[in-house]
Formats: sequence, C-alpha cells, structure tokens
Amino acid sequence: MRDESDGAPFLRIQGVGVRFGGLQALDDVSFDVPRSAVVGLIGPNGSGKTTLMNVISGVIKPTRGRVEFRGRSIGDVPLHAVCRLGIARTFQIVKPFANLTVRENVAVGSMYGRDRRSTGEAFERAGELLEIVGLARVAERPASDLTIPDRKRLEVAKALALDPDVLLLDEVMAGLNATEVDEALALLREINARGVTLMVVEHLMKAIMSISTHVVVLAEGKKIAEGAPTDVVASPAVIEAYLGTRYVQRRRALGEIEREREEAEAMQPPGAH
Amino acid sequence: MELLLQILVNGLLAGGILAVVALGFSLVWGIMNIINLAHGAFLMLGAYLSYFLFTNWHVDPFLSVPLVFVVLFAFGYLVQRFVINFVVRAPILTTFLLTFGLSLLLVNAALLVFHGDERAVTPAYIGANFSLGPVTVPWVKFWTLLVALAITGVMQLWLTRSKTGRAIRATSMDIGAAQLAGVRVAHLYAIVFGLGAGLAGAAGVLVGLTQSLNPSMGDPYIIKAFVVCVLGGLGSVEGALVGGLVYGILEALGSQFIGTGLQDAVALCVLLVVLIVRPRGILGKATA
Amino acid sequence: MAWLRNAGLGGITGSPLAFALCCALLVALLGIPLLHNGYYENLFRGIFMFSAMALGWNVIGGYTGYVSFGNVVYFGLGAYASAFLAEHGVENVWLAIPLALLVAAAFAVVLGLPILRLRGHYFGIATLGIALAVEEIVANLDALGGGSGVTLRQAEWFPQYYYAMWLVCAASLLATWLIARSKFGYALVAIRENEDAAAVLGVNPTRYKIAAWAISGMMAAAAGAVFAFANGFIDPPTAFAVDDNVFPIVMAIFGGVGTAAGPLVGAFLLTAVNETLWSHFPQIHTLFFGAVIVLVVLFLPRGLLYLRNLRGGWRGFVRSLAAYRV
Repeated sequence: MRDESDGAPFLRIQGVGVRFGGLQALDDVSFDVPRSAVVGLIGPNGSGKTTLMNVISGVIKPTRGRVEFRGRSIGDVPLHAVCRLGIARTFQIVKPFANLTVRENVAVGSMYGRDRRSTGEAFERAGELLEIVGLARVAERPASDLTIPDRKRLEVAKALALDPDVLLLDEVMAGLNATEVDEALALLREINARGVTLMVVEHLMKAIMSISTHVVVLAEGKKIAEGAPTDVVASPAVIEAYLGTRYVQRRRALGEIEREREEAEAMQPPGAH
Repeated sequence: MELLLQILVNGLLAGGILAVVALGFSLVWGIMNIINLAHGAFLMLGAYLSYFLFTNWHVDPFLSVPLVFVVLFAFGYLVQRFVINFVVRAPILTTFLLTFGLSLLLVNAALLVFHGDERAVTPAYIGANFSLGPVTVPWVKFWTLLVALAITGVMQLWLTRSKTGRAIRATSMDIGAAQLAGVRVAHLYAIVFGLGAGLAGAAGVLVGLTQSLNPSMGDPYIIKAFVVCVLGGLGSVEGALVGGLVYGILEALGSQFIGTGLQDAVALCVLLVVLIVRPRGILGKATA
Repeated sequence: MAWLRNAGLGGITGSPLAFALCCALLVALLGIPLLHNGYYENLFRGIFMFSAMALGWNVIGGYTGYVSFGNVVYFGLGAYASAFLAEHGVENVWLAIPLALLVAAAFAVVLGLPILRLRGHYFGIATLGIALAVEEIVANLDALGGGSGVTLRQAEWFPQYYYAMWLVCAASLLATWLIARSKFGYALVAIRENEDAAAVLGVNPTRYKIAAWAISGMMAAAAGAVFAFANGFIDPPTAFAVDDNVFPIVMAIFGGVGTAAGPLVGAFLLTAVNETLWSHFPQIHTLFFGAVIVLVVLFLPRGLLYLRNLRGGWRGFVRSLAAYRV
C-alpha cells in the first residue's frame, strides 16, 4: 500500500460531462470516493455507467470536468500510464489474450504495470494472484479454453497484477449463477480487505446491497442519488428512474416501498452503514 | 490555363475507369472484408478476353463489355465458392496471402499462354479526337467514361432495388441476422465476389483501349483501387465514383507537375493524407 | 514447468527442440564454403537471406500482429545503403551492414509514427504503398543510379559474403529468440492479442510497435546490404521486388508464425521446394509457387510448428480448417 498526500480527497469526480456527437452520455456528474470504500454504481441501461468507468480509468477523456486521483488530474495521462497511478479496471466484454496461457495473461500486467517485474518474477506473482482468484488449477491452459466465470476471474487477476489502489469492476458478475455470485462477492470483499478501493457497476441489486458502502445512481447521464445503499435504493427518484412514475405511485399506495426499505436494511452486512 | 483544363479533362476521363475498378474492389472489401489482391489479375483477364474477341471475331470492344462481365462474373463466382470461401472469415493475413497466391497463379498462367509480348486492341476509331473548346478529347476515352458511368449507374440501381442487391447490403451489415433471415450467405458472397471480378474484367476491357496489354497490366491498379476506396469512402457506389474521378484528376496533376514515374508515390501521399485527415473518405459514413 | 520457462524455452518462443535444431544446422552450414561449390554457396546464402527477411517479418507480423505487406522496402534500403557506400569508394560489406541498420531504424521511426496508427488492412496496404513509392523515388534519384542501377565491385575473397549473410541470419534468429523470452516479447504479443487491453495493462503501444517494426526492418536491411555486394548489381526492381514481400511471409507461415525458429524452418523448406520446382519445371515454377502459396494458406494457416499443438489429432486439424468457412 502506498501513502497518499493528506488533505486531498482520494478520488474525486468533478463535474464530468461526456458528449458523443449529439448524445450527452454524462452530464455534470460529481462525487467523492473515500479510501477503502466500495462504491456501487447503478442505474438503468444506457445511463452512462460504463462511460463513467471509461472516464475514471482514462480510456476516454471527458468533454467537461475532471477526475482527480490523490489531488492529481488524470485527464492528460495517456492510457498506458494510468495503471502506474494506481487505477485498474475490468471490462464488461471479457477478451483475454487468447493465445497466451492464463498465467501469462496475468504476468503481462505484472511486467508492465506498477511493479515492472522481470519475466521470472512476474510469473511468480501471477501464480500468487491466480491462487487468490481461484484459477491456480488452470494456470497453464490457454486463456481461450476458459469458461465465462473463469474468464471473469482472469479479468480480475489481470487487474490485480497492476497492484492498484482503485479497482473498477464493470459488470463482473453478469452471467454468473447464484453460487458463482456469492464466490465473486467473497473475492471482492477479500480484495477490499487488503486495502483496495472498489467501484462496482452491477445490475444485481442483491450484490450491490451486500457489498457497497456507498451507492451512486445514474440515469440518462446524470447523477440522481448518492448515499447509503438502503437510502438510495428505496428512494422514489431511483425507483422511478428504473421502473417509471406510474409504478412508483401504485406501489406507494400499497405501502410496498416501506417494506422493501426494511428488507434492504436487513441485507446489509453487520457494521456497515 | 488551357493546360490545366486539359489536365482536368484527362483526369476525369481516366477517373471513370478507376471508378469501375474501385467499385468491384470496394464491394468485395466492404461486404466480405476481403482485400482481393487478385483483382488486378481479373482486370487483365478481361482485357485479354476482349482482345481475343476483337482479333478473332471482330467484336467491337465496347460491345464486348457485357460479355466479358458475364464470363468474369462466372469465373469469380466459382473461385469464391470453391477456394476463397474456405477462409472467408479468417484473419486478414490469410486472405491477403490467398488472393496473392491466386494472383501469382493467374498472372503466370497468362504469361505462359500469352508470353510477355505486348498486344493492343486497335479498333478503327482509336486515334480519333474531338474538340471541346480548347480541350482535345479522344473519342475512345470519352466513350470509356460514358460506359464507366453507365456501369456505376446500373450497379447502384441493382444494389438498391433488386432483391439480391438488398440481401447483399443486409449481409454486409450483420451476417448473423442475415443468416437468420434465411439469406444463403455462401451463395451471396460468391455473387459479390463474382461481381467484383466481373467489374474488374469490364474495367479491363476499357483499360485495354487506352494502353497495351501484358500479363502484369493489372498489378498497378490494386493500389490505385485501394486509394480510391479510401478516398471516396468504402462500401458505396457513389464513393467509388467520386473517389475515382477525384483520384484521376490528382493523378493527372501529379503526372504533369511531378512526373509520370512517380505515380505510386502520389498514390501513397494521397492515401496517407486521407487516412490521417479524414479516414472515412469523402463520402464515407463515420464508424462508431 | 517453471524451469523450462526460466530457461527461456516454451512460452512464446515456440518449440525449443526446433530452435536447438536450427542452431545446430546453422553451425553445420558454416562449413559450406570449404566445399568450393558455387551452387551450394549460392543456395544457402539465398536461404540465409530469406530466413533473415522471414524472421524480420515475423517480429512485426507474427509477434506484434501488424501484417506488413511491404517489408521489402527495408531490404531495398539496405541494398541501396551498400550501393551508396560503393559509389563513394567504400566497398566493404562489413561497413555496409551497420549503415543499413541505421537507415532501417531511422526509416521505421520516422514513418512508423503515422503508419502504425493504422490497423489491419489499412496498415497492410499502406506498407505496400510505401514499398512501391520508395521504389519509384529511388528510380528517380540519379545519385543512386536511377533506373539503371548500381554496380558494386566485389571483394577478392568472395566467401566473405556467405559468412556475412550467415551472420545476418544467425543474428536475426538469436535476436528473435531473445525477444521472445523477454518482457519485450510479451509486450508485442499482448499488442497482437488485444492492443487496447495491453495499453490498460501498462504497455505503450506506439513505442513497442515502432520498436518491433524497426527491428524487423533492420533484419531485412542487413540482408539487403549483403545481397547487394553478393549480387554485384542492384537496381530498383531487384532491390524492391514485389515477390520479396510475400515469400518471407509464406515462409514464416509455413514454418510457424509467432515462433522463434518457425520462419527459418519455413525458409529452408520452401527454398527446397522452389529449387526442386525450378530444376524440374523451369518454365512454370512461379506458377507452381503460386499454387504452393494457395495450398499453404488453405491447409496450414498457422504453420507446421503449430500442428503439434492442435488438440484432437487429425480430426481436430480437419475441423479447424472449417473454422473460417461460411
């Protein structure tokens, strides 16, 4: 773990706007991410979550606003240098280096990321990381052989090879069954326990609820809610964004919203806010 | 000033042929994602076919264009169906090499049969010109431009109106969806490749009227076709036409002011400039 | 398996056995000039030349995945580097090689910046265009002999050109092996497999692509520099022969793209095929070569050295052929 400069917020997203031609994908999105947090980023399809991930990870430059990591703007950092700052991410559409072995896939990150290890050391480190994500048994297989859940683990391992302080996970649980989701959540909790700040984009409410310390909600490119998971998820604005106004009105009349709030509170792990 | 006008007209006249060459190339590239390095060989075959029709049966070259088109179309169809189809979805290296090998085969077969000596198609009207103000226009080149425009017009109509034409455009957008909709993709691909060959052959007839024939006459046209496609925008008939005409003019200007021996250098410069400044070409649609 | 990897074998270098055999073969071929047989000297010198070009192409095309269809431009530049020296009275192939390396590296850096931004087909044809354009430009430069070419006076002891070409070939093989077992090799392969993912993992694509292209060019240029002296004469069509673009690629594919020894194996085998064809069918050997290319591409898209990796034996092989069909 590296020391940070005191005083500056850990990760600050400030007034970020992104415009693609005629489409405003993100509009004045601002929030702070404290160190060691787990931020859940949710919102209906097309709300700009992946675009925001792309901005924070340096893949695209915002048309307005800035992202500051440890007081330093990442705007003018070229893509291949972003990982040296300590930010890593997984991609929604997982495409590993198909013709390399699983171990080699992870080793590349260790060779060129923050650590810049030699090949031998990188392979050793890759072995350790594969143990953590549970892929040690397939370490020497070509990556193209892996099942989808294993590919997702590989994505995470590759990102971990960069020794990040912030890890962005884009729908890493999509397509997993219930058991696999639980395993993934356990893995993420372990990574967070080692001091890595997480930002997780997911559609699985249960997953977001059980792991997040904060939740940020986007809809149509704007931030419509932010705060503790239970508050955010039960907020009428959020429900409206997902399911529409009439639905909200009907359910409110039936008192169901209150009930859901209580259920959500029950799902939170003990000790979390 | 008159010189400039003459150059412009020369360029336009040559550009028509380039448009036809590029159109066939563009169809195969845009729809099947194959850069056909044997395109020049098809052009050459078309030229030689018209030569034989002219020398042995006195068929006027312009009249032989439809026949040459049909013959080369059939040839291209068979080549695609039984050779190229095997690697249609392979990485570019594979298709590059395959079409190059094919080109070697065809050019060397031609070399064997026709030997390296130059032949020429010489109908009676070959030297005649007419004047358009201060500009001299050779009749042959004028007619080749008209034929070229006619060909592009017919292709555009066919692609947008006919059932097969629309199926082709659908396949180029989404092969999976097209297959689900019942399109027989292998057959369609063969048609597209056949069209490419047929258009190359037709262009070959026209080229044969403006220069002498030899087995490697088609080779320079591949890089030109490529540049025209990039310049005009890939995958559209209008793009090939506009690109061809513009490139024809640029080439004529280059010939005059830089020298005829540097045509490929001119082509490369045009290519680089377009790729850096406006990669989608003059009429191309921007890709996401 | 770790010890294998630490010894620099396996991984992305390809079959260690093939590499060892190639080294042994090269050592054995050092003795050819002692036979005083002009035919064999020419034959193997030609093989070394094509091996170097194939190994060079393999670095940018096989390992980095940027399929260059115009690498002959480097060969030509190297040949003309020799011609330049010869015209100024320096007729020493051992000085020509470093000059050729320098020219190639400079060329790659200057042109690499715009050209390597292109991908796929565009890069391939752009490199072809470069080769054609440079040939034309050289043909228009009277200082370098223009269209009529340059005659190079050859040294007294002719076998030195054999050894020079041997050196170029051996150095190219060694360089490829060293690259493949190093971090640099993994950067190239990462770019080939998924350039954007590689960037996210910290690989600077521009820097590594240019380096790869420069290295591939230097191998071809060195071969060209030696060829110019060995041949005694070069002119634009000889130096920038279009077919010299493709033969190295086919050799690399035949032997195994993306392995260290593959291109050399391919060069040996295909030259043997070519020589056999030439001696039996002199008229149509190029025709047959075209047929060979077509067959190689259809049935061995990744080369001989990959056959052993295919799982499922021969049925797997046949099934893999259908993978690219529609």
